[in-house]
Amino acid sequence: MEPMETLTPEIARLIAAKERRRRKLAALPFAEKVRLVVKLQQMAAPILKARGRSVKVWPLEEGKPVI
Amino acid sequence: MQKTLQVLNDLVREGVLSRYAIGGAMGATFYVEPVLTFDLDIFVILPQSVAGLLTLEPLYAALRARAYDEESECVIVEGIPVQFLPAYNDLLVEALNDAREVLYEQTPTQVLRPEHLVAIALQTGRDKDRERVRLLRDEAELDEAYLQNVLKRHGLAGKWNPWKP
Repeated sequence: MEPMETLTPEIARLIAAKERRRRKLAALPFAEKVRLVVKLQQMAAPILKARGRSVKVWPLEEGKPVI
Repeated sequence: MQKTLQVLNDLVREGVLSRYAIGGAMGATFYVEPVLTFDLDIFVILPQSVAGLLTLEPLYAALRARAYDEESECVIVEGIPVQFLPAYNDLLVEALNDAREVLYEQTPTQVLRPEHLVAIALQTGRDKDRERVRLLRDEAELDEAYLQNVLKRHGLAGKWNPWKP
C-alpha cells in the first residue's frame, strides 16, 4: 500500500475512517460480534454454495438485534 | 452459541472434558473485528483413559447420546459445527490452562488469551494463520512481556520477529 503521505487527502480520509470502523468493531461485546459473524455467514454462504462448498449458517439467537 | 456453550459446560461438569476453551477464528474474534468462519474451534483437555490414551471417542459418544450428529470433522451442537481439537502439545496445554474466563451473555466460558492465539498461529503457519497474526497484532491488546515469555518457552521468538510492530 502507498504511504499515507502520498495519498490524496480524500483517500487518506477514507482509509482512516475504515481503520476507525475496524477498531469500533473490535471493541464490541463478544455476543454482538458473534451475531455479526452469523450475518457474514449469511452473506457468504450463497457465494460459497455456488462454488460447490457446503457450509452451515449458524442459528441466530432469537430476539437479539444485529447491528 | 449460548446453547452450544452450555452443552460444553455440561460436558465439563460430567467429567467428559477436563477443560475447554474457544480458539481459532472465533477465539480471535473475541479480541478483534468479527472474522468470517463457519466452525467453532474448541480446544480441549481430555481426562486420561486408564490405558493412558487420549481419544476424542468418549466425547463423541457423549455428544451422540445427546443426538448431536457428526459431520465431516465437526459435531453439530445446537446448530453450530464444533471442531474439537485435543491439546496435542505443550503450547496448547499451557494455552488452555491460562485461558480467560469470560461470560457469553449469561453463560460462563473460556477463550484462549490473544498471546496464545498468536503463538498457535505462528506455530501452525498456514496462510490464514498469518492473517490471524496480523489481525491480532494490529487490533488486539497484547501483553508484550507475556507474549515474549510464551514465544521464548515454545521456541517461536524467531517467527514473531518479522511481525513485530
